[in-house]
Amino acid sequence: MNRRRARAAFGLAVALSAAAPAWAGSVMRDDLQREVRLPANPQRIISMVPSLTEIVCALGACDRLVATDRYSNWPAQAKALPKAGGFEDAEVERLISLRPDLILLSRSQRITERLGEFGVVSFALQTESYADIGHAVQAIGQILGVADRASRLNEAIEQAVREIGAKALAQRHGDGPSVYVEVDPTPYAAGPSSFIGELLARLGARNIVTSELGPFPKLNPEYVVQRNPEVIFISPAEATQLAQRPGWEQIRAVKEHRLCSFPPDVRDTIVRPGPRVAQGMRAMADCLARVAP
Amino acid sequence: MADAHTSSQPASPALACENLSMGYGPRTVLEGISLEFYAGLWTAVVGPNGSGKSTLLHTLAGLREPRSGVILLQGRRLAAWPRRERARRLAWLAQMPGVTDLTASEVVALGRFAHGGWLAHRQAVDDAAMHRAMVATGSLSCGQRRLSTLSGGERQRVHLARVLAVEAPVLLLDEPTSHLDPPHQEDVARLLREQAYGCGVCVVSAIHDLSLALAADRLIVLGQQGVIGYGTVREALAADWLSAAFRTPVNIVEHRGVHLWRPAVPPARRSGEVSTRLDERL
Amino acid sequence: MSTPQPAVAQLDSAHNGADRLTRLGTWLACCLTITLLLTCGSLIVGTSSIETSLGWLLSPDAQSAVVLWEIRLPRTVGAWFAGALLGLSGAIAQGVFRNPLAEPYLLGTASGAALGVTLSLLAASASVGALAWAEKLGVTGAACLGACAAIALTVGLSRGVLQTASLLLSGIVVAFLLSAVTSLLLLTKPDIWREMQTFLLGSTAFVSWSSVTLLAIVFCVCAVPALLLARGLDALTLGEDTAQSLGLSLPMLRLTLLGVVSLGTATAVGQVGIVGFVGLVAPHLVRETLSVNHRQLLIGAALCGGALLQAADLLCRWIIRPAELPVGAVTACVGGVYLTVLLWRRSRDG
Repeated sequence: MNRRRARAAFGLAVALSAAAPAWAGSVMRDDLQREVRLPANPQRIISMVPSLTEIVCALGACDRLVATDRYSNWPAQAKALPKAGGFEDAEVERLISLRPDLILLSRSQRITERLGEFGVVSFALQTESYADIGHAVQAIGQILGVADRASRLNEAIEQAVREIGAKALAQRHGDGPSVYVEVDPTPYAAGPSSFIGELLARLGARNIVTSELGPFPKLNPEYVVQRNPEVIFISPAEATQLAQRPGWEQIRAVKEHRLCSFPPDVRDTIVRPGPRVAQGMRAMADCLARVAP
Repeated sequence: MADAHTSSQPASPALACENLSMGYGPRTVLEGISLEFYAGLWTAVVGPNGSGKSTLLHTLAGLREPRSGVILLQGRRLAAWPRRERARRLAWLAQMPGVTDLTASEVVALGRFAHGGWLAHRQAVDDAAMHRAMVATGSLSCGQRRLSTLSGGERQRVHLARVLAVEAPVLLLDEPTSHLDPPHQEDVARLLREQAYGCGVCVVSAIHDLSLALAADRLIVLGQQGVIGYGTVREALAADWLSAAFRTPVNIVEHRGVHLWRPAVPPARRSGEVSTRLDERL
Repeated sequence: MSTPQPAVAQLDSAHNGADRLTRLGTWLACCLTITLLLTCGSLIVGTSSIETSLGWLLSPDAQSAVVLWEIRLPRTVGAWFAGALLGLSGAIAQGVFRNPLAEPYLLGTASGAALGVTLSLLAASASVGALAWAEKLGVTGAACLGACAAIALTVGLSRGVLQTASLLLSGIVVAFLLSAVTSLLLLTKPDIWREMQTFLLGSTAFVSWSSVTLLAIVFCVCAVPALLLARGLDALTLGEDTAQSLGLSLPMLRLTLLGVVSLGTATAVGQVGIVGFVGLVAPHLVRETLSVNHRQLLIGAALCGGALLQAADLLCRWIIRPAELPVGAVTACVGGVYLTVLLWRRSRDG
């Protein structure tokens, strides 16, 4: 009697384990050097980085997104999704309550450990430079199971960028224009190692900031006056105030009004290393072609 | 500065109060006080702690608002005097003036503030008054030293010099001898006598030490219920106001024309005969 | 009563008096020399090397002239005036509140200015009309207005300037309150945080000749009544009752002096952001080296504060050139070190 019961229990256990879904996902190493066990076909994805949101949608998986961070605003479908906080203040409660299969994060966000405690799968990707775009597209494509679409996207981006760069260099006679990119009226500048600095370099422009100052140095304003850039990239609000800064009315770019300002939506494409990088670069190239001497 | 040592009272009091009431919040300290202080007389205010000596002086000096009643300075209501004129006529010495980094002569010079105001420069008359005051108080040698480097006695003398430099006809002093050694207490008492008798100033001081207070011309004795009496020292002794005020027999003796308080401390007994009865008197 | 020989006493006092005056004179001369040296130093320190700058001084061309006379000189002169305003305000605040820890921001000026700047930055992205307003006012105007509003709130909360204790407490309350409001507002739009941080840490980067003119005018407007009323501060050290009995109008004194502190601090904060420690340390430096009455203390604190901020401006441009440190961070370091040394010396002397 006991033995028969034990056999029945054993058979039940086997049947049950067969009925349980087998984990067919993959293990991938993310940019925090963690080995992440990813689900096979994640259907509920949350992206906490605007550029990663854009990549997911560019790969045609926008429907799988259930929430984004508050700064993700492209495309319109992503903009309409519920928001779960920002970079520093991601709302962990909200994230957990949405029961996601996967959360895409930036490498430097702090919530990764917290999420791990709750058993939520998170994948961290670096999103700072141009090279990171290709890497992120490939990784996300693999996770979503659309690896060949991802490589096609990468090729398209690479080709568009190359074309724009070549066109810009062809139109150039001699050295590119010297450019000062202002990120903040403090003034904080964008150096050559920042994303926008990289794009500028591809367009053949010369950044007045040198690479040893870092990606976003806080400059002494007199530095800009001394370097006398030919073009200044600046926010629209500050563009009108430049001449009032002491000594700046002497700068060539200010005197000859060679300023490049972009509206917020265009600006997003320039500062986010994402699939719209070619768009951003085109906007920059157009402006440079227009105002550079 | 006319001589005023005749026994008859001058026509009007230098300082007077009518039906004065003062208190803190719900607590009434004194009420219905009517007093008159005349030029050339030194009045001492005595009484136990909490009887309102300080409060009375503060109110008379215009530093506290009374609950009701009116104060008259030289016949005119205190509040009606313009601020600086009032300061020229009524000088005040606080019980514990603050310690400061100023030099002694700067402190004394502050006494002349009411005479010149914000934009005034020091003039000869100011220098003369300061010099007189510092000579009278013996603080000339401290002239350029910082107040914080002086001893307690020297500091008090400098403050007295400041008060004298005002050359006001009315002087109010709150415990001017409280932190001084006996010789300095003596000096202060002598100074007050001279100001009243010699310079015709109306001096009112709150003094803790009974023997010093009894050297004054007039006494105001305050008790827990209010003013127990106001009059000459002889009147005070005859009616034994002091015992009523302190609620315990106060023994005053006269010695060569000077009144002294004699504390009733029994002499040391031989061992084994110690008495603990507090009211045992010899 | 002992009366020492008057003649000898007079001689003594005269000798001491002369001694004191010479010490004060030496101190003033020192301060002015340091200021001059710092000004010259500021002309040659910047993003270019010292040799280049010296070369410019000797044989200037158009662009270097701009750098020297339109950027470096107004910056250092403006820093001096702002520092002088802060030092003066700090000395007055310490006198009025009779507290050596008082400093110019204790009426809530710093938090009010920060709130003003936050509102102006937020308004810039709110609507076109608000943007136009914000541009006209500028960050400096907004900071100044915010500071004045905070002071009005403090004085209103403590129901006038009569009670220094309640004024101090109100200042603390207002500072905390406005800080909280600023933080909440920043949450709604975190991208202005970087610009706010610049303001909060102080910056002399864009001080122009027009800023210098404004600072100079305000300094004169503040210094005159302050020096006239300095004697009142002397009287206050003897106690409030004593000061009142001497014929001073305490409400008038407090109102005027706090008005001077408010105007001076609000203007300085508007031009250079929130620079800490200068207003606290300058009067202490004067008092440690000299024994002075308040008129001399106010002058000394102004000169000292000016030199301090000038030195901080020079350092912040020099240390990581061509990048720049926030000037408030430098003053905080210097001030912190000085106060630590002061504390250590006090505890050692027991």
